[in-house]
Amino acid sequence: MALIELLNERAIKVPLMARDKNGVIRELVDVLAAAYGLDNAENVFLSVLDREAQGSTGLSDGIAVPHGKTDAVPNILLAVGTAPDGVQFDAIDGQPSRLFFLMVAPPEKTGPHIAALAEIARLSRQSALCSALASAKSASEIMALMKGD
Amino acid sequence: MRQAFERMLVYVDGSEGSILAARLAAVLASQTHAELHALAVVNTRALSDLVQAHIFLEAEREEYRRDMDEDATRYLRHATEMGKRLGVYVEGHSVSGSIAAAIKNKALEIGADLLVMGPPPQIRSRRDALYDEVETAMRTAPCSVLVARDEERIEELYEQLS
Repeated sequence: MALIELLNERAIKVPLMARDKNGVIRELVDVLAAAYGLDNAENVFLSVLDREAQGSTGLSDGIAVPHGKTDAVPNILLAVGTAPDGVQFDAIDGQPSRLFFLMVAPPEKTGPHIAALAEIARLSRQSALCSALASAKSASEIMALMKGD
Repeated sequence: MRQAFERMLVYVDGSEGSILAARLAAVLASQTHAELHALAVVNTRALSDLVQAHIFLEAEREEYRRDMDEDATRYLRHATEMGKRLGVYVEGHSVSGSIAAAIKNKALEIGADLLVMGPPPQIRSRRDALYDEVETAMRTAPCSVLVARDEERIEELYEQLS
């Protein structure tokens, strides 16, 4: 499944209001819940927190990819958010994170879940694109950048 | 005289497109008496990419690997059952690696003269075009490629024969 197929302008928040790690995860889960009408956002939140407790998903260069597996979502869902001033996310380089991709998937969607996360991994290596995404002023600008427009 | 297609390979990944491809392949195998092989790929390359990128922990890689192995077994069982309904024996293969390379290698290994696949995902960005594995598999296949479309017609053919 192409990453672009998972993107939904209503599931993008620019900028995020939260100023700490759990707050960012909560805010992105809330964005997903609003965009997709999720009944059980609390379980989604807990699945991401559980995974995060095993090790931070804060990568280098200001990117974080919190994720989790849960029955509380019907399909693979992706929320994107930015924090231009950076949020401490226990990233491997110790730097604050500015661009967030939160992905959750039901247990039976392993293959497409892996493929979509791998696409984010590839994207995270494109520093110019990630910098542009983190500096985007609107959800529509993020959509356009992701489409390569 | 040789048949146009004597050994077919169908790629299955649980998607609706690949299920359609498996049905079409079963129909063709039934009508042409070609051998039919089904391939499921455990995408270990993607798992490695995720560990390398620090998105996955080592323990997570193992957990997802087990899930993907189970998925592959399920997809092949489904393809086998679809063939069985038409009296077609389907030889299942589960391999690990990158999807495009695994398809190409398996096609070469069994001497496939036709690769049957579901339609690639809609390309909506330049990035998709570069990285889509199914698209790459189609471009690099060592044999002819048949893309299953027209669900109604394929379902009709399948039901007629079953």
